[in-house]
Amino acid sequence: MIVPVRCFTCGKVIGSSFEEYKRRTGEGENPGKVLDELGLDRYCCRRMILSHVELIEEIMHFD
Amino acid sequence: MKIEDMKVEGNNARFVMSGASVTFMNALRRVLMAEIPKMAIETVEFHMGSISDENGKSFESTGPLFDEMLAHRLGLVPIPTDLSLYKFRKECACGGEGCPTCTIMFSLNKKGPCVVYSGDLEPLGDSKLSPVDKLIPLTKLTEDEAILIYATAQLGRGRDHAKWQVTHGSGYRLYPTIKVSKAKCEGAKDCASACPKKVIAVKEGKAQVVNLEACNLCMACVEACEKGAITIEGDETKFIFQFETDGSLAAKDALLYALGHLESEFSALHDSIGEMME
Repeated sequence: MIVPVRCFTCGKVIGSSFEEYKRRTGEGENPGKVLDELGLDRYCCRRMILSHVELIEEIMHFD
Repeated sequence: MKIEDMKVEGNNARFVMSGASVTFMNALRRVLMAEIPKMAIETVEFHMGSISDENGKSFESTGPLFDEMLAHRLGLVPIPTDLSLYKFRKECACGGEGCPTCTIMFSLNKKGPCVVYSGDLEPLGDSKLSPVDKLIPLTKLTEDEAILIYATAQLGRGRDHAKWQVTHGSGYRLYPTIKVSKAKCEGAKDCASACPKKVIAVKEGKAQVVNLEACNLCMACVEACEKGAITIEGDETKFIFQFETDGSLAAKDALLYALGHLESEFSALHDSIGEMME
């Protein structure tokens, strides 16, 4: 729903990277390069950002 | 034991240790993950009912996330910890009631529409105690929604909850030894293209090791080489050790604490065995 604070597997804080990732890939940057520059080296942390779907914007109008 | 190539900067640490054993490196890894104390939010008090702003506009204290989910997210936010300043609640002179040497208080007051970030947590007292990472989204609020929260952080260890885990990605690898037989190698480049870490490159018609420490002993190059020219072995007395912290402690402080903790655990064991032998 909202981006997790930490990586499920290793515990690295990844929540703060998602907005920058979304903005920069939206501007047409290469996703792999953005993840590298955000310091997400392990594939467990990379999948957290890569596979996240931000649904909270849809849900928040119904509570 | 000898340490080479030590790189401990900010939140990251990496070094090569020779003359050690797997058991020793594993003890260090486990202490780094489970035994170092740090501050994390443990209790959260939510204001219920309506909240008014200075213009008299009223907001409902609701949001899209359940309170327990938001409390959990608050717990995971890393809080900078100076281990020389704080004590565990149980060991504190206040007797566990909560005082400035065992507790950090935070308040969070935000009115929608907005995104609530970890940087909106305001510590009562020293502003240096505000979360290291200020851009973690905690929740989102729409028009007419607001939150007012009081949270208290206390010391804990990684073995009790993941929110108190200081280091992550901590681990060791056997130091690789890659041998390329010049007589057998025909420069077929299969090994270089098979290696996922780009350890091997073909120069002047022969395979050469260009980035030895990146090798993770996956053996893809050994399998790819039809001539059997490459052999790889891991050295069980030499290790590449690395870890990173979540920012609540610097990597240097975490490592020094871990080593001190191992020492004090074993000296306590030594003393109690000494008493039994008398």
